[in-house]
Amino acid sequence: MKIDLTLEQREAGLGWALILPCVIVILSLILYPILSNVISSFFEVSLSARDSFTGFENYRAVVTDAAFWRAVLTTLIYVTASTLGTTLMGLGTAMVMNKVFPLRGLVRSLILLPYVAPVFSVVYAWKFFFDPVNGLFMDITVERLGIFAERFNLIDSPGSALWVAVIFSVWKNFPFTYLMLLSRLQAIDKNIYEAADVDGAGAWHKFRFITLPELYFVMGSIVLLRVIWNFNKFEDIYLLTDNVRVLSIYTYFKAFVGVADLGQGSALVILQFALLVGFILYYVKKVLKW
Amino acid sequence: MVSKGGVLRKIGLATAIILIVLFAVFPFLQMLSMSLKYQWDWANPSLIPTQLNWGAYAELLNIGREEKDVPESVRILLEESDLTRRQRSEILEKYKDTGDVFPFPRYFRNSLALSTLAAAFSVLLAVMGAYSFSRLRYRGRGAIQRGVLFVYMIGGILLLIPLYRIAAALGFLRTAAGSFTALLIIYLVQTLPVSLYMLGSFLRTIPYSIEEAALIEGVSRFRIIWRIIIPLAAPAIVTVFIFAFMIAWNEYLFASVFLRDHGEVHTLPMGLRTLFGSKNAIWDRIMAGSMLTAVPVMILFMAIQRNLAGGLSEGGVKG
Repeated sequence: MKIDLTLEQREAGLGWALILPCVIVILSLILYPILSNVISSFFEVSLSARDSFTGFENYRAVVTDAAFWRAVLTTLIYVTASTLGTTLMGLGTAMVMNKVFPLRGLVRSLILLPYVAPVFSVVYAWKFFFDPVNGLFMDITVERLGIFAERFNLIDSPGSALWVAVIFSVWKNFPFTYLMLLSRLQAIDKNIYEAADVDGAGAWHKFRFITLPELYFVMGSIVLLRVIWNFNKFEDIYLLTDNVRVLSIYTYFKAFVGVADLGQGSALVILQFALLVGFILYYVKKVLKW
Repeated sequence: MVSKGGVLRKIGLATAIILIVLFAVFPFLQMLSMSLKYQWDWANPSLIPTQLNWGAYAELLNIGREEKDVPESVRILLEESDLTRRQRSEILEKYKDTGDVFPFPRYFRNSLALSTLAAAFSVLLAVMGAYSFSRLRYRGRGAIQRGVLFVYMIGGILLLIPLYRIAAALGFLRTAAGSFTALLIIYLVQTLPVSLYMLGSFLRTIPYSIEEAALIEGVSRFRIIWRIIIPLAAPAIVTVFIFAFMIAWNEYLFASVFLRDHGEVHTLPMGLRTLFGSKNAIWDRIMAGSMLTAVPVMILFMAIQRNLAGGLSEGGVKG
């Protein structure tokens, strides 16, 4: 017996058939793991034996550890400084690139390089730049300018390594911010600036009262994306220096290095996710005014 | 008439451009320069090597290593004695410092295989999926689209522990091939949301009337996808493939956990890190390795640069 389907039903059937592989993959390898992670955060996890239920023990162990709060603080500093730096650098670059000048096409391509180059290759160029023995940074600050009395290893001490990681993050990500801002800048109606010129407004006033308000929402979205990405960032920091214990790196060490504790790792991941979601909700309401 | 303020502004603009370009490209220049310097030249702050040294590249690519490090006396002995060819190569084999050679070509092959396969599968699934939610109407479509966007926001570290436990429980991690496969599946998942999102945005820009005409002619949906949509979307498919390839090529976090017990399937990011940690005085080789891993990807990106700005704004980014 042949069943006659309407055109809509056939279309819906085909639609589901085509999307199904993607849905299965995403459900089984993203949503299911997240749920299983929530569950395992309440267990003492072992890869060889059965897990045993311990209630909130993992969470208690995590939040009573001072190292966790140091990681939270480090993450906050890293995310704030790198996002701020990236946004300011991106804004400055966008303002400059919005002007007409010779070789602009070439300059555009060159500026994109940090963003398209693989992280795991370019970190070594920065490691070398800050290398205490051969690096250029020490050569300039110690030998040429005499700012520091002697050469030292910036990447080895957690305090200064954090700022090296911030500089690297700004360098790596400002091209993205600049591209996004530039496309918005180019969409601003030129007549507004001409009207401001007629009124005798200076460059600063035009920037402050026309450009910035026009960029507000694009910038707001880019900042949000940057915060989310930098908050979860692992490679960009870990490959540069393992001295900067932001939350992702702290979790990585907890769960996979030394006395590996997957249960506490799961709890850490949940706390990290909760912090991020809390921030996103606050930000979307206050800054993006949804 | 050029006013004084105009000249100053031009100088200011030129300075700003030069500073920005320098900031962006200096690390690459340094990488290139260091990869070509001899060790005695390392502390020299100039970017131009005093004397060019291709040794690091030759070592990484295993060029001209057959004869190297064989003592002169042994070489003379080999040439003068009447050994068979086999015996001769056996003796030479002993002098190849295989333990010390950094297996760069192998890491390269592993990375290339993983990234290509993951990107190919990702694009394949995404073409079907993106066609489905950009062209067909059915219940649940909106929910799926929002779900893809949500998944896009989830960082790797959130999935690492549970996926590791699942892979271990299923026995994937016991063999090199199993670990490799598990990682391949993970890369497919990681790139899928990006591919879906970018391709979906692109397919919406193809006018529906082309398809409608074919549908009225009685052409089947599958033929439409195959003969009309895929050729029209070819540039977007290439762009998405390269983005997906990049994500897999750059990945270190999952690789470091999943492949750690199986050295033969290590990928480039792991390899470079091992190289960096292995001996002192490795700057030339590390920088040559960085050049060799970065340049192909940068060339790929420059090739699709026209689509890049669009691709970025269509959500083709992660990181």
